[in-house]
Amino acid sequence: MPAPPSDARAHLGRVLGVETCGADGAILTVRTISELAPIRASRFFMLGRTDGVSPLIPRPFSIYRQRGRDLDFLIKITGRGTRALAGAASGTEIRLTGPLGNGWPTLEADGAPWVFLAGGVGSAPFYLAIEQALAGMDGRGPVPRKHISFLFGAAQADHLYDLEALGDLGVSIHTATDDGSSGFHGTVLGLLDRLQGEGTIAQSIRICACGPEPMLRAVEELARARDVEAYLSLETLMGCGVGICNGCPVPTRPEGPLGEWPNAKCCVEGPVFAADAITLAGVE
Amino acid sequence: MVELSVRLGALELRNPVMTASGTYGHGLEMCHFTPPELLGALVSKTVTLAPRPGNPTPRICETQLGLLNSIGLENKGIESYLEHTLPEVEKADTVIVTNAGGESIEEYREMARILDGQGAVDAIELNLSCPNIQGGALPFSTDPAKAAEVVAAAREATSKPLFAKLSPNVAHIARMARAVEEAGADAITAVNTLLGLSVDWRRRKPGLGTVHGGYSGPAIKPVALHCAWACARAVEIPVIGCGGISTAEDALEFLVAGCAAVQLGTACFADPALPGRLVAELHELLRREGIASVGDLIGTLRDGREENLEARSGNGEERPKGIPVR
Repeated sequence: MPAPPSDARAHLGRVLGVETCGADGAILTVRTISELAPIRASRFFMLGRTDGVSPLIPRPFSIYRQRGRDLDFLIKITGRGTRALAGAASGTEIRLTGPLGNGWPTLEADGAPWVFLAGGVGSAPFYLAIEQALAGMDGRGPVPRKHISFLFGAAQADHLYDLEALGDLGVSIHTATDDGSSGFHGTVLGLLDRLQGEGTIAQSIRICACGPEPMLRAVEELARARDVEAYLSLETLMGCGVGICNGCPVPTRPEGPLGEWPNAKCCVEGPVFAADAITLAGVE
Repeated sequence: MVELSVRLGALELRNPVMTASGTYGHGLEMCHFTPPELLGALVSKTVTLAPRPGNPTPRICETQLGLLNSIGLENKGIESYLEHTLPEVEKADTVIVTNAGGESIEEYREMARILDGQGAVDAIELNLSCPNIQGGALPFSTDPAKAAEVVAAAREATSKPLFAKLSPNVAHIARMARAVEEAGADAITAVNTLLGLSVDWRRRKPGLGTVHGGYSGPAIKPVALHCAWACARAVEIPVIGCGGISTAEDALEFLVAGCAAVQLGTACFADPALPGRLVAELHELLRREGIASVGDLIGTLRDGREENLEARSGNGEERPKGIPVR
């Protein structure tokens, strides 16, 4: 019985502020009534306003930053749900169900360097990932700064959300844009090729990736073709976030660790999957 | 102190709040959101004889006022349910209802036979009405005679309380209700989702992978209320109301319309802690209104039926179970 995480609860909080971020993004800060234990990067919350402005079904958002009772969420405004959150005035009550999902695996210092690949708002689970890797996760040693590269791709420069704050974390950041308006002119995977080709990034790496479906499909293929340890943080439609609606199936690889059933539930078995556990081919 | 317990035929529920099939997992895994002992009953996700991988994506699509789904009864089958799920669910201190699905009369009969042997199962709810298998065209969701055949087959195979969950996608739900009652159902759950379609005209694509699906949420409440009321008028077995309920006020509307209990569905997706909170709200609401027992409200809608009921009880006929006559 896939169950929601045992620490997930229905929380209430109030909007502390909404800060515009890039062309179509916002950072929503919510102060929760009770303080939450430190949340693993790439876990998420279902968010919705309680005043009836949000749609019926809350929307899933990665935890972006956590400071005591204040939780930041990076939001790309795409529709009714995100508009309601980004348009919330200070003091608006928010229902937060979470923390949900598994989060990134332990980002170990031992082993190949880590490469974090983000596409657009797929950068959301990386702010905390970098913080937590640098601090050391799950009682393991800190990952040295030089063993973390953050490759951030987007359609255009003003979709490279919160780039300055990410830069302040002190790991090497490389950008790529489809239109060439910032950094490498091309995809984030093209950028990785370039950096590996010129020796800036080692040949042997481990990957964490979050971004649009075509990007993650490309990472999945790369991981298989070059036998790279890779983790994909997926975004799917979610009806509940807690494993009860069966609306977020991710096709599993029959020969992989989740292969006993054709689908995994993105919300409770993910959102992070090892690239060899799932297959995004054919997923829209 | 407000009395919240209700009778559902042979079953006593500590309160009229149940979860709707497919909207709360198997219930126990949600214990951090709502401890099962707060609820009247937990209804399982539909279990079928054979495993079902479910429908293609997208499986859910939110519309302006509700939710469309086409999950396709994804489940690992009865064998896995008995081996892995039921032993866990059994620990829940509440009434356990297993929802059984099928595509043929034989499958329902077999499901009822298997579940009959399970001590942990307090009642069986027959899902006669899933809109997402065979495109909602299963004959027993719309044909009273076929529905009756399914219920009769299951009835032969089990002595456990048997609920029939009906579809609203029919012309005369009262005929469906009478048919399943005559075939031996102990209660009726009214209703499952409405058939619906969402269209993205720019991409010329439907919102769901199966094109159409089941529509649920607050938007369907008046339709569900009407169906539940029509069933309650038509039969003497208890009716469980389901469709668009998300507040204690909603629940009481169904009770007044004649339901002995209610099921919460889509609202649990929006807030998994809702079922427990709704029970507390129900208690508080009745206390404030000075109503001593929730049972006093059941079937009290002033719809012109009161006189009929009095006349019938005067004739010495058995009163409808779960519907006390005032």
